[in-house]
Amino acid sequence: MSVVGSGAGEVILALANVESAYGPIKAIRGVSLKVRRGEIATVLGSNGAGKSTILKTISGIIDPSRGTVTYKGENITGLDPSQIVRMGLSHVPEGREVFPLLSVRDNLLMGAYTRNDRDAVARDMETAYTYFPILKERAAQDAGLLSGGQQQMLAISRAMMAAPELMLLDEPSLGLSPKLTRDIFEIVVRINRERGTTMLLVEQNANMALNVADHGYVLESGRIVMDDSCAVLREAEDIKEFYLGKKDTGVRGERRWKKKKTWR
Amino acid sequence: MSKDPHRIVTGEEFGWKTEPLPYKSIPELFRLRVKELGDATMMRQKELGIWRSYTWNEVHAIVEEIGAGLVSLGFEPGEVASVLANTCREWVWCDLAVQSVGGVCNGIYPTDAAKQVEYLCSDSRSVYLLVEDDEQLDKYLEIAEHLPQVRRVIVFDMDGLANFHDERVISLDQLRELGRLHLKQRPQLIQERSNARDPGEVAVLVYTSGTTGKPKGAMISQNNIIAVLSGLSTTLYEGVERGGERIAFLPLCHIAERLIGAFIPLERGSVVNFVENPETVFENLREVRPHLFFAVPRVWEKIYSQVSIGLSEADKMQKLAYGWALHVGSEYAKCTLERRDPPAPLRWRYWLARTLVLENVKRMIGMDRVEVGLTGAAPISPELIRWYMALGIPLREGWGMTETTGGGTQTPRYGLKPGSIGRPGPGLQMRIAEGSNEILLRGPNVILGYLNLPEKTAETIDADGWLHTGDVGHVDDDGYFYITDRMKDIIITAGGKNITPSELENELKFSPYITDAVVVGDKRPYLVVLIMIDQENVEKFAQDHDIPFSNYASLTQTREVQDLIQKELERVNAKFARVEQIKKFYLLQTQLTAEDEELTPTMKLKRKLVEKKYAEAIEAMYR
Repeated sequence: MSVVGSGAGEVILALANVESAYGPIKAIRGVSLKVRRGEIATVLGSNGAGKSTILKTISGIIDPSRGTVTYKGENITGLDPSQIVRMGLSHVPEGREVFPLLSVRDNLLMGAYTRNDRDAVARDMETAYTYFPILKERAAQDAGLLSGGQQQMLAISRAMMAAPELMLLDEPSLGLSPKLTRDIFEIVVRINRERGTTMLLVEQNANMALNVADHGYVLESGRIVMDDSCAVLREAEDIKEFYLGKKDTGVRGERRWKKKKTWR
Repeated sequence: MSKDPHRIVTGEEFGWKTEPLPYKSIPELFRLRVKELGDATMMRQKELGIWRSYTWNEVHAIVEEIGAGLVSLGFEPGEVASVLANTCREWVWCDLAVQSVGGVCNGIYPTDAAKQVEYLCSDSRSVYLLVEDDEQLDKYLEIAEHLPQVRRVIVFDMDGLANFHDERVISLDQLRELGRLHLKQRPQLIQERSNARDPGEVAVLVYTSGTTGKPKGAMISQNNIIAVLSGLSTTLYEGVERGGERIAFLPLCHIAERLIGAFIPLERGSVVNFVENPETVFENLREVRPHLFFAVPRVWEKIYSQVSIGLSEADKMQKLAYGWALHVGSEYAKCTLERRDPPAPLRWRYWLARTLVLENVKRMIGMDRVEVGLTGAAPISPELIRWYMALGIPLREGWGMTETTGGGTQTPRYGLKPGSIGRPGPGLQMRIAEGSNEILLRGPNVILGYLNLPEKTAETIDADGWLHTGDVGHVDDDGYFYITDRMKDIIITAGGKNITPSELENELKFSPYITDAVVVGDKRPYLVVLIMIDQENVEKFAQDHDIPFSNYASLTQTREVQDLIQKELERVNAKFARVEQIKKFYLLQTQLTAEDEELTPTMKLKRKLVEKKYAEAIEAMYR
């Protein structure tokens, strides 16, 4: 496996030959990847490639049928999600999943459920509010009344409240305007840089993901086909054509047919 | 006393005969079959998940329209039209149409890049280019200015071209419309045109893939093709009924699929099924359940490895049953090979093995109706032939080349000798040259020569009509030929030992984990090998043994995969003499596709090119 990745520290998370299935359907068919401490890693892939399944398998929502998940040197395969959260790994699920009938503040406190250090929790809450001032304005409102973008901010902040070392982000850009997407990614990078939180980001918005992340994996029908630093991936022909929509349009100026994927 | 190793061997010696055919050309044969078979199905193509059928009459009408359409645009007898498409119905329609109006049909590989298309069009002086779709059309547009002689480009599938307008480009439907109008004025057009040329003149151009230098255009006449067809019924089709189903998926520009996927079904009146795309071959195979299946060794190997990998997931009972049935099958096959009547108990056990196991395996791979399995275009491992024989699939080997219009030797239905390419077909003479041991062939199927290359032609076909095949081999007392290697591939190590790399390579390729291999060692102290792994099977191996890998390159670099290949190498080395041992190997780290220059269109590694491209990796193995 490649050892590239800027600011590469120790391996904080490693998946080895992980297979997960929904009933008879194998969603991931043997995934091996590594995330290093302090970096933002990303997994790119189309709909149904198995991206969310990877995150769910890591955070313990799904038990893999094969393979191991190692976090901070410990085998966490098949552990209960609540135990995994306590080890400092939080998951920001796809589609936000905030508690709609709880206030914004209570949502944030739910994120800190596993912690006892009240002062630190209060400090983190303040930090969240500085990252997303709108949440402070709406602190007393029911989370269900927030806009989609605000809910996404809340979901990220809620995950941050558990003071995680590793944060799993499942498509934070889903359903958001380009402007909001940019804003949110900016904060994601700030959280990573300022708090040193390692990120594993799953995205369909490849352009965004490749710009913020250090190391990327490309997932194709449940298998990893590319593994390289994002700088390299951004220049790869197949990534340009299939993920960034930049293609050579040929003599006619429009091209409909697809090149064969080679993943080089 | 053994026979002269350099004698002339003919097919007639074994009772193989040519039969007089009631036609002199492919267009004539086509019209004859249309009359006989009329509304019966001639071909099928899967379209959006549904097999669409075409009767002989329908295809006849289409072919006349295309032919007349080309004539209405100004297509003259003897001019060349090139087809640039995957294996599909339109390919065959256009081929028949071009030949029917006295044109010369040339094929271009759909995997060729624009630059190669340019070369082939210029060299063949193509005046029409028939392309499959927008993807192939774009290749032409890129090089259009270098091809002033191309008058029109005809596109089969216009999807994605609604906004495209170019007076040089028309759709196949438009061409047929032109043809329909033209036929109204000149209903006898096709009839008149079909006699425009002599059957001894060039009718088909087939470019040899050319592992070194530019491809050469082999000029094939109707007489050449008819010569091959006239030897079929006593050899390949001995004891096989006419009709039946065929599946076509190899490139039609290659002489093998052109014969077996286009010309021979005309002679045999069999139905050709065109696969959806090259990736769905195995699925389509199970749907069609063909009676004759022709494939290159790579495909036969793939099917074998699918079965063996599938078996590794079976339970203990199933494994035992398979092992037993295969053992019985091979004993039975051995009797057939030695032309003995199997003893009654064996016959009974074989019946049981077939009913319980072997028939199921055959059904699983879509081969339960196969009466003739045929392999060619590359050497095949004898072990693989034995395995298919044990299953009850008579896998026969044919050897031929573009320069022999695909005809050559054939292993007989009975008395098959694994390892041998069989005996010369009827009407042919073959012998081993003194000194060089090159296989020479003479007969009516030898091509007219190479287009624009009189010197190359003279080098290849000598004054007495003997074709120098470039294959080195020998012939046994029964008249079976054996190929040891390509003449230019023979390795002479620094120690002075002559080594035929293909023997070693074939043994390696029999491993389910190895797709192709190139042995290197000319003027070197020892042999090394470049190996292309079978991605699917090696991935499965890695996953089953908990070996982490991410992309293809990382898979080839894992310790365990290296060890796995090392073990395969040792297995092969054990079969060879000490001087022939392969000391080191290197796994190619990119997954190659037909578009890559390293592979021939039939997916073989190009030896010379690979040796050059991976020179550094090779050097490293000698350090």
